[in-house]
Amino acid sequence: MPWDDFKGSRGEQPPSVDDILKNIRNFFRGGSIVLLIFFLIILGFWLTSCVYTVGVNEVGMVQRFGRYVRQTTSGLHFKLPKGIEKVTKVKVDYVYTEEFGFRTIRAGKRTEYAPSRAFLDESLMLTGDLNCAVVPWIVQFRISDPYKFLFKVRNVRETLRDLSEAIMRQVVGDRSINEVINKRKEIADMARVELQKALDEAETGLSIKTVELKRTNVPEPVQPSFNEVNQAIQEKEQMIYKAKKAYNQAIPAARGEAEKMIRAAEGYALDRINRAKGDTHRFLAIYEEYKKAKDVTRRRLYLEAMQQVLPKIKTKYIIDHKQKTILPLLNLQKLEVKE
Amino acid sequence: MKISFSVLITIIVIAIILGMNSFFTVDETEQVIITQFGKPVGEPITEPGLKFKIPFIQTVNYFPKNLLEWDGDPGQIPTLDKTYIWVDTFARWRIVDPLKFFRTVNNEMGAQRKLDDILDPAVRNFITSYHLIEVVRNSNRPMDTMEVGLEQIGKKAPIAEVKTGREKITRMILAQARPKVEAFGIEIVDIRIKRINYVEEVRKAVYERMIQERKQIAEKFRSEGMGESKKIEGEKEKELKRISSEAYRKAQEIKGKADAEAVRICAEAFSQDPEFYSFVKTLDVYKTTFDENTWLMLSTDSDFFKYLKGYSNVQN
Repeated sequence: MPWDDFKGSRGEQPPSVDDILKNIRNFFRGGSIVLLIFFLIILGFWLTSCVYTVGVNEVGMVQRFGRYVRQTTSGLHFKLPKGIEKVTKVKVDYVYTEEFGFRTIRAGKRTEYAPSRAFLDESLMLTGDLNCAVVPWIVQFRISDPYKFLFKVRNVRETLRDLSEAIMRQVVGDRSINEVINKRKEIADMARVELQKALDEAETGLSIKTVELKRTNVPEPVQPSFNEVNQAIQEKEQMIYKAKKAYNQAIPAARGEAEKMIRAAEGYALDRINRAKGDTHRFLAIYEEYKKAKDVTRRRLYLEAMQQVLPKIKTKYIIDHKQKTILPLLNLQKLEVKE
Repeated sequence: MKISFSVLITIIVIAIILGMNSFFTVDETEQVIITQFGKPVGEPITEPGLKFKIPFIQTVNYFPKNLLEWDGDPGQIPTLDKTYIWVDTFARWRIVDPLKFFRTVNNEMGAQRKLDDILDPAVRNFITSYHLIEVVRNSNRPMDTMEVGLEQIGKKAPIAEVKTGREKITRMILAQARPKVEAFGIEIVDIRIKRINYVEEVRKAVYERMIQERKQIAEKFRSEGMGESKKIEGEKEKELKRISSEAYRKAQEIKGKADAEAVRICAEAFSQDPEFYSFVKTLDVYKTTFDENTWLMLSTDSDFFKYLKGYSNVQN
């Protein structure tokens, strides 16, 4: 955990009284040369605490007798020895991540997460329409003010976690379950702004980089019914598409059919008119000639027609007009058989 | 020589012991009260640095100067509308008057206990005197609840209007608790509701309600789909009828016009000699209507047979 190296060791213990007494006893027993060497070694160790290095994304915060005196950047630095000056290194550029509602066990190509049910207390919250939602999220931040970070708040991490939970719930509390599921970005943005404000007020010295909502959902027992709604939406669209399909299938065909009907009518019209014209032309042609020799033409036309008509008829009776009854002539028996 | 050297060492050692007991450091995050036989002496030291006291007689008491946390005891609290909820609060506080603090609560443990005694009941009092919605919501921001259009059918109890809201409630808790802790030299900076949830038993009922609510929404979508598709179907029927009837009308118009034209053409031609027309046409009709199954009875006094009885030029 990056938190472990947040704050360096603090409050060195001064050499205990026992050690000093032992030194005195040694002095009286042994030779002073041994003692001198012993002191020199101790002095040497003490002086090594005058040198320290600050890592590439760190700053060193130096305190003299507890009072903050200066800030050093990365590189090799000197300070007064242990007991007088103390340095605490703070990673200022490092981006820390806090997870809420889940924990990453091992990040990688396929990141492993701890079972989210264990952290349900963190992510389960009430929405504005008094439903329950599961909202896991992460907060990424860095230390922008190492002075405030070190000295203003005792437990910065807990403060961040508590504030983050409180603010996320406040933002979610003003939104409906639908919005919580569908408008994650909006919620994250709002939470980021609010959280930064709260962190500044508390003088934590942290600045939020991002707040990101992971997959928001409803509690497990309710999930099937939410899926049902999605399914119903699909069904609705499907039904509409089906109806539209039927519409699109029928209407152009009907238009074609209508067009055909009109064309047929137009054909009929042409036919009628042409026939009428043909008939009249024929009639008029005959009539022209008929006018020239009315009687003869009339006779000729009549006889020609008879010549055509009468041979076709098999059964002909020719009756004298003086004959009053025609009945005896008819072969009625034959007629009956025929019928 | 050896004696004097050891005396020197002894003096040095004593000086070191005395010095270590009279000098002390105060960290940036600390403040200090010096006590003499248990009784505070002088002003509290709030500035960091190297400080001095009378060795052995005076002792140093350190107190944190930075922001401290208080975590409420999460518990079940009924709201005004008798819903049991589970509330977890936290507060942040600092020691503003170390002398008072030292006299009244002595140390941080004592302070936490005092805060428990004051903040927990304050939270409880406020939560129980408000509706749940007031604790959950912060404003009357309109929400998209997917229930647009449902209002007409069976009026669902609308979610109550928020008059106070969470932030105001926490501010009120803070305002109530602040003066009470002043006596301990403590300032509460901020109190917030960290977690709020239904208790386990209520949760089940809420889930059931959520399920029913969703089911009803799903049904709404389905019936909307059904309605929409029926509408399209109806539209289709209408369109079909319109298309076919329009086509029929147009066709009839065209045909009628043509018929009229034909009639006009014929009438114009045939009216020149209607008698001759009927003569010619009748002959045409004879040609097409008579066939081998026709029986024909002809009278001898017809024009056709007038020569059957003789060749004389009979004119009748």
